[in-house]
Amino acid sequence: MTVPSTSHPPARDPTIRRVLAFFALIAAVLITVVALAVRNINRAERSADWVNHTHAVILEIDAILATVHAGDGALRTFVMTGDARDQGAGRDAFSSMSEHLEIAKALTRDEAAQHAQVLRLETLANQRANLTQRVIAAWQIDHAEAVRTLTAADGSAATTAEIRRVVERLKADEMALLAERDTAAFLQAQTTRWTVWTGVALDFLLLSATAWLIRDDLQARRHATAVLAEANAQLEARVEARTSELSTANARLVSENLEQRWAHQAAEHQLRYQQNVFNALNDLVLVVTKAMNISRVNPAVVRLTGREPAALIDRPLADIVRLTGDTSVNFDAMAVALREGRELRAQPAVVTDALGQPITARLALFPVRDRDKVVGGIIVLEVLGSPPPQRDFARSPSLL
Amino acid sequence: MKNHILIVDDEIEIRDLLSLFLTSSGYRVTAVETAIEALRLVHVDPPDLIISDLQLEDSDGLEMIAQLKAELPDTPVILLTGVLFDAQVFRDTLSKKVSAYLMKTSPLSRIREEIERLLGE
Repeated sequence: MTVPSTSHPPARDPTIRRVLAFFALIAAVLITVVALAVRNINRAERSADWVNHTHAVILEIDAILATVHAGDGALRTFVMTGDARDQGAGRDAFSSMSEHLEIAKALTRDEAAQHAQVLRLETLANQRANLTQRVIAAWQIDHAEAVRTLTAADGSAATTAEIRRVVERLKADEMALLAERDTAAFLQAQTTRWTVWTGVALDFLLLSATAWLIRDDLQARRHATAVLAEANAQLEARVEARTSELSTANARLVSENLEQRWAHQAAEHQLRYQQNVFNALNDLVLVVTKAMNISRVNPAVVRLTGREPAALIDRPLADIVRLTGDTSVNFDAMAVALREGRELRAQPAVVTDALGQPITARLALFPVRDRDKVVGGIIVLEVLGSPPPQRDFARSPSLL
Repeated sequence: MKNHILIVDDEIEIRDLLSLFLTSSGYRVTAVETAIEALRLVHVDPPDLIISDLQLEDSDGLEMIAQLKAELPDTPVILLTGVLFDAQVFRDTLSKKVSAYLMKTSPLSRIREEIERLLGE
């Protein structure tokens, strides 16, 4: 036999399931917000790298232009002064320009358009470097030739101006990219902010809904507990009342039982007491019915007549007792007296024992009345003279 | 404090039934069989009320009651007997010796009423 369980596992409770679902949703929102924020941070980080990169490109191309100018300046000074220090300064400037070009090429390696412009810049710069070498070589032969070479180169190719234009265009491109990336970074930051605040708002709403759910459930549980407690109290009161009723009924039954037992023993006691009184009489006492049949005898009758009660009960009284004066068979003076409700006292009578021997006695008859109606009589026989000696009635063949 | 009742009767059925009834009615009951036991007990644990039979095995109930009254003159005594006394006889003779006379055929509730009356409950 299985006993039904009165408590459910927590997972089966609908409220707990709902709360768990809400917490799962809150966790999902949090994870989504964190994932989006991390992605946006990574993007912002990449944008910052790109900004730095762009600034680096701009700086490098500015440096190229600056070193070109510095180199030009040093070359012109050298042509005019022939000072070796100016020559060295020009060499250093062009050397530095080459380094900046290499860096710019490396920085724009992944940007085809910018890289092409840097290559163009390199071409122009190399032209300037070649011019420098040619001017120095011309200067070593003839100063005037060097000046003409320098002037002719500036006039025909206009390299420096071209370099400046390329640099400006490149810078303009990089600045455009920078602006574009700034806008993208701003949008990403905005997206991050919106994502975070939306997530926070959503979580707050979900937490509020969860709190409301828990509060609602707690109220329902409190109400259910109160109802249960009330029902329990009512049940206890009913059980108490029923117990009290049963206890009262039980006490009444015990009392009735005791009364019945007491009444029974009292009746037995009275019967025994009366029997003892009846048996204690030494005179012969016979109780007869209204039809003059024997209904009861005391032990004295048995002792004197030698007749057992079984041989006497329900037998006519006339079988063992008769009045001495009654000579007529058809007349019974005792029966007449009993019918008339009269007493007979001191009447001479004869009792016949089991051996058929007569015993003379004095007879008294007392009618027995029940509510003024004669229902029988009591015969009391007093044996006259000495009582007969004890006889052995058992040997008698004529025992009745 | 429960009232103490002494029952003197030579019949065990009567002692047992009466003890059970009076105990369940809230009394402290001591039941003895003989007058000698009753006389010994009144010295050790005096009762508040005595219920006695008339015909005891070792004594006459009225004689014993007279002896008990000598020890406890204020203790009420109920004579509970199977011997039927005439009301006139009781008034003339027994009422001087006992507080009340009840037949053994009286219901238990009647006995309790008499006890309550005599103890002033």
